[in-house]
Amino acid sequence: MFKYFKLLGIFWKFSVLRELEYRANFLTNAFMSVFWLFWGIIGTTIFFAHSDTLGGWTYEQVLVVLGLYTMFLGIMEAFFRPNITEMIEQVRVGTFDFVLVKPVNAQFYASFHSLTMWRLADVVAGAGLILYALRAMGLTPTPMQWLAFALLLAVALILVYCIWLGMMTMSFWFVKIDNFAELFYAFYETGRFPISVYSGLLRAFLTFVIPIAFITTFPASALMALLDPMELLIGLGLAFLLLGFTNRLWRFAVRSYASASS
Amino acid sequence: MSEPPIAATHLKKYYQVHHKEPGLGGSLKSFFRRKYRDVKAVDDISFEIAAGEIVGFLGPNGAGKTTTLKMLSGLLYPSGGRARVLGFTPNERQPAYLRRMTLVMGQKQQLNWDLPAIETFLVNQAIYEIPDDVYRKTLDELTELLALASLLKKQVRKLSLGERMKCELAAALLHQPQVLFLDEPTIGLDVTMQTKIREFVAEYNRRYQATVILTSHYMADVTALCKRVIVIDHGKLMYDGGLEELAARMAPHKLLRVELASAVDGQNLARYGEVVKAEGQRVELLAPRSKISETAARLLAELPVVDVTIQDPPIEDVITRVFEEAARARQADAAEEAAEDD
Repeated sequence: MFKYFKLLGIFWKFSVLRELEYRANFLTNAFMSVFWLFWGIIGTTIFFAHSDTLGGWTYEQVLVVLGLYTMFLGIMEAFFRPNITEMIEQVRVGTFDFVLVKPVNAQFYASFHSLTMWRLADVVAGAGLILYALRAMGLTPTPMQWLAFALLLAVALILVYCIWLGMMTMSFWFVKIDNFAELFYAFYETGRFPISVYSGLLRAFLTFVIPIAFITTFPASALMALLDPMELLIGLGLAFLLLGFTNRLWRFAVRSYASASS
Repeated sequence: MSEPPIAATHLKKYYQVHHKEPGLGGSLKSFFRRKYRDVKAVDDISFEIAAGEIVGFLGPNGAGKTTTLKMLSGLLYPSGGRARVLGFTPNERQPAYLRRMTLVMGQKQQLNWDLPAIETFLVNQAIYEIPDDVYRKTLDELTELLALASLLKKQVRKLSLGERMKCELAAALLHQPQVLFLDEPTIGLDVTMQTKIREFVAEYNRRYQATVILTSHYMADVTALCKRVIVIDHGKLMYDGGLEELAARMAPHKLLRVELASAVDGQNLARYGEVVKAEGQRVELLAPRSKISETAARLLAELPVVDVTIQDPPIEDVITRVFEEAARARQADAAEEAAEDD
């Protein structure tokens, strides 16, 4: 276990070093995350110029959702996107072989060995937006609400990880899977707004199939006393199930992996 | 007797390969309906390799050398048969096994392109859990053997191919593996660099008593390093034994290099053997090994010979001949089958 914490430290240090080789990237990235955050806020503000509520949520409440959306976008871009990109490349040219012949858990290596540090700016910006919106509403969540929020954040992290792991696994079979990631981002866009905006089948789809609601809406609800405890329970169950399933899928895929250009 | 470090018994690997017709039409067709056919990449191969041996795998492209190496290193599951390395079943990929072996692929690199090699070394140190003092000692040794001192801190993408290969080798050997799988480690390198890599492999083998399997397109690699070779063609084991016996067994001919006082016409020469080369007064003939002294005697008696030497033909030619003959035999078989089908 200790080995893996140490490895994580080394992987991330390694990634930071690599990014420092390309300094221009840093400024561009930092600028882009601030730009997109404001773009999101402007969009929401314009909407509320014409209406008082969105799916039953007020302007500030929607900002909390937008904050979570930005945070998780940052998390995905910082932790998951660089790894999936690298894995696609490694599977395509066959250097994933080097991962498999090392005494290291291949899933751990593939999932976490790369980090795009600059995108953590999104996480900070998103968290800032959440705190700002809470203050604007004059809300101070209770310890129980913070706890529920923390649990739902953990659920959201696991769900996001599972979705990306699932996509990475697909690269064993289909190699070029960049489009899966684009498709997922298209669904993730819906997470800018509370799930109550959507109705019927789409809502069920975004809750249970591609569980975007658990990533942005429900953690936000927890902070604002809008959470149905059932949602927390379902979230925990869903995270547990999906983690088990995607782990299994990964192991199966590694087994059937035939490296390129044999 | 304990079991040998590397053993393959009736090892098999069959692939389903999808088969695409050329052109856009073919691509479209294969997008909707893929045609698959079975390819026997490795077809019932057995061998054992003793501790400290360096064995060369020979065979044309696609013969099954790399597939065999991948099964031995645990990257591929055998379709049949069994592989055992250091008492482990490779495809279980147990950490205790992976810690004691290494795989070097000349065509693929594990070093990070954007960073100096030393950074990848540190990642490997952590992955293999090499204690600091052991790491430093091994790195010093490798640095000395491979003359890495000036290379380690340069960005990998700024290194030449040969320099990069030296760093790749070091990265793969930091954990002092006992079993080395080297797949084309000298590919694309110039002759000097090839020699250096070769000398290094020999030295590593001596120092650590490591067992090495080597595949290479360059016969010089194999003749310099391996006493024993395993020849694979179309997934089948064609020969397993000493390099010299290979020449004797597979080349039933010897090469006569003759220097004549005056030119002799080709037809006249052909009576003594197959003319390989005839440039004025210098002639090379292939004659059956069994009658070689008789042929040489006749040459000396009947032609104006200044000098004659008898040699084994170059091993490259021997191997090429063997593969060509095997290919011809297969074609003949296929033609026969086709004829029977009609």
